[in-house]
Amino acid sequence: MPVLECKELCKSYGRTPALDRLTVSIEPGRIVGLLGPNGSGKTTLIKLASGLLTPDAGYISVCGLPPGPESRKNISFLPERTAIPTWMSAKQLLDFYGDFYADFRRDAAEEMLAHLNIFPHQRIKQMSKGTREKVQLILVMSRAAKLYLLDEPIGGVDPATRDYILSTIIGNYNPEAAVVISTHLIADVEKVLDEVIFIHQGRLALQSGVDEIREEKGMSVDALFREVFKC
Amino acid sequence: MQWQFSNDAPIYTQLIQQIKVGIVAGVFPPGERLPSVRDLATEAGVNPNTMQRALAELERDGLVYSQRTAGRFVTEDKTMIQQAKRSLAERHIQVFLEAMSHLGFQREEILALLEQEMKEEGETHASA
Amino acid sequence: MLRKLIKHEFHATGRTMLPLYLILLLTAAGSNIAGRWMLDSQIFAVSLLGGLIIFAFIIAIFAVFVEAFWLMIQRFYKNLLQDEGYLMMTLPVSVHQHVWAKLTVSAVWFLATISAVILASMIVAYDVHIFQEFFHLIGDIFRVLQKLKISEAFNGTVIIIEGLALIFLALAAFSLQFYAALAMGHSMANHKMVWSVGCFFGFQFAVQFVGSLLLVSLSKMRLFRFLNNWDPEPIVAVHVGLLMAIGLVVIYGTIFYIVTIFFLKKRLNLE
Repeated sequence: MPVLECKELCKSYGRTPALDRLTVSIEPGRIVGLLGPNGSGKTTLIKLASGLLTPDAGYISVCGLPPGPESRKNISFLPERTAIPTWMSAKQLLDFYGDFYADFRRDAAEEMLAHLNIFPHQRIKQMSKGTREKVQLILVMSRAAKLYLLDEPIGGVDPATRDYILSTIIGNYNPEAAVVISTHLIADVEKVLDEVIFIHQGRLALQSGVDEIREEKGMSVDALFREVFKC
Repeated sequence: MQWQFSNDAPIYTQLIQQIKVGIVAGVFPPGERLPSVRDLATEAGVNPNTMQRALAELERDGLVYSQRTAGRFVTEDKTMIQQAKRSLAERHIQVFLEAMSHLGFQREEILALLEQEMKEEGETHASA
Repeated sequence: MLRKLIKHEFHATGRTMLPLYLILLLTAAGSNIAGRWMLDSQIFAVSLLGGLIIFAFIIAIFAVFVEAFWLMIQRFYKNLLQDEGYLMMTLPVSVHQHVWAKLTVSAVWFLATISAVILASMIVAYDVHIFQEFFHLIGDIFRVLQKLKISEAFNGTVIIIEGLALIFLALAAFSLQFYAALAMGHSMANHKMVWSVGCFFGFQFAVQFVGSLLLVSLSKMRLFRFLNNWDPEPIVAVHVGLLMAIGLVVIYGTIFYIVTIFFLKKRLNLE
């Protein structure tokens, strides 16, 4: 059974269509890049999968369940912006995640916080932007979820943090779970991906394995992306 | 071990090459156990499935063998490692020769140039 | 899960409400002392200080009410409709549970605020004399209660319960009107807060319009003529009045509950 499945999925904001009859499916054990220029519908797809938006038409399911409280048990979602309440401390956030998610691995989270020298009693408010993003990522990756939805996880972070984020994603690999990484910084994530999904103006432009693209086209995904979406 | 990737070839073939170099250069000594797929993938910064694919390929070539519970090991067969070393060297030389002929050098010129370069290098080494 | 949401909500709001209650009670105790010994002091500085303490108490009363009201609005839109919404609205809980958690907690804070202000007022007024009076009063109440017939005692208790229920429900329904306006306003693409304020006044207008319409049309109905000719005992009239008020408040709250749920569930549009 696919972890994420969409059929003829449509969503528009007012009169501007964001997704136009999108059909894709993502299998377990895959790390997938969701690639496309700004405004191509990447975030819309992620929001639909996590239930933050309701589709206008079509079908979407996560592990066979329609978006809702049940399906969210299987989804670990990293939003593009800092969503964790800033008045809380890292430790309070661990309590919070432990309360709401049965699959939260507290020991893993504590280990990662210690590894990054983040003091558990420090409030999020007192942390730098980069540290906040790391805490949020640690919370998301410490869950043993079936689907990880990471919206622009490496946008706007320094190279060291970016490497840390990518190695966390690799180190957390689970053959039963799928990871979806939406980004426009393809060169940085390319090596980490199994396959890529190109979205263009709300439609599926390409779904293919990274090494298949390199083998068949003799170029990197990044180079192919630049060719497909040439302005 | 330093992992580096170019943009024109599949990542798994590049992984195969680099692990081979690692085995030949003794980073992974004969008979030694290899790190797990996940650890190797994390170290190289690549997808675990891609690393798995590269190791499976190496296994098929015989440079690596797996024991059901203990994991993957480098072959103890030294002649096989020598062969791998030889074929890696051949590939380097091929690339080198191609580049030189691109620059317009003839075979004799290349040889002479090589000898001279190696002599100079030896002298700087000796003086140092 | 509702229990956990409520726990978290108390955690998030208690850190501002509890210190405020503490300040309220401290300034109340200070005012008591000021009223007794400081205001009439011959030393100007002492009487000035006394005046300032009483002023601080008045400000504290104002502050707890404003803060309880502000938290009711702010927690809803900041926690569910802004950046934190990305965390909260992807938790494995339903929209109903979110709304109930917010509703319960703000209603509890409203009641706690009313109780705290009453308690503070008692602290200000407290002196040995009043304390004795208070015990006399309790004694009197017991003596009156003993003489009461069972039916009267029952009626009195029920009226108190009905009155409290009405206050509680009215506070919750009032909160729901704010929630509905915020949820609807934030479903818009731009100017979410402006739309929310607009929605609130739109709702307010609609409630008043429907209210007056009901009053006018009811008075023409047969039921009302029956009620006009009906001459009940005063105690029964109080019951009927309270129960009708409760019924209306429940309808008013339910409508805004449905509106809130609809917009959170189907029209959520986080930035």
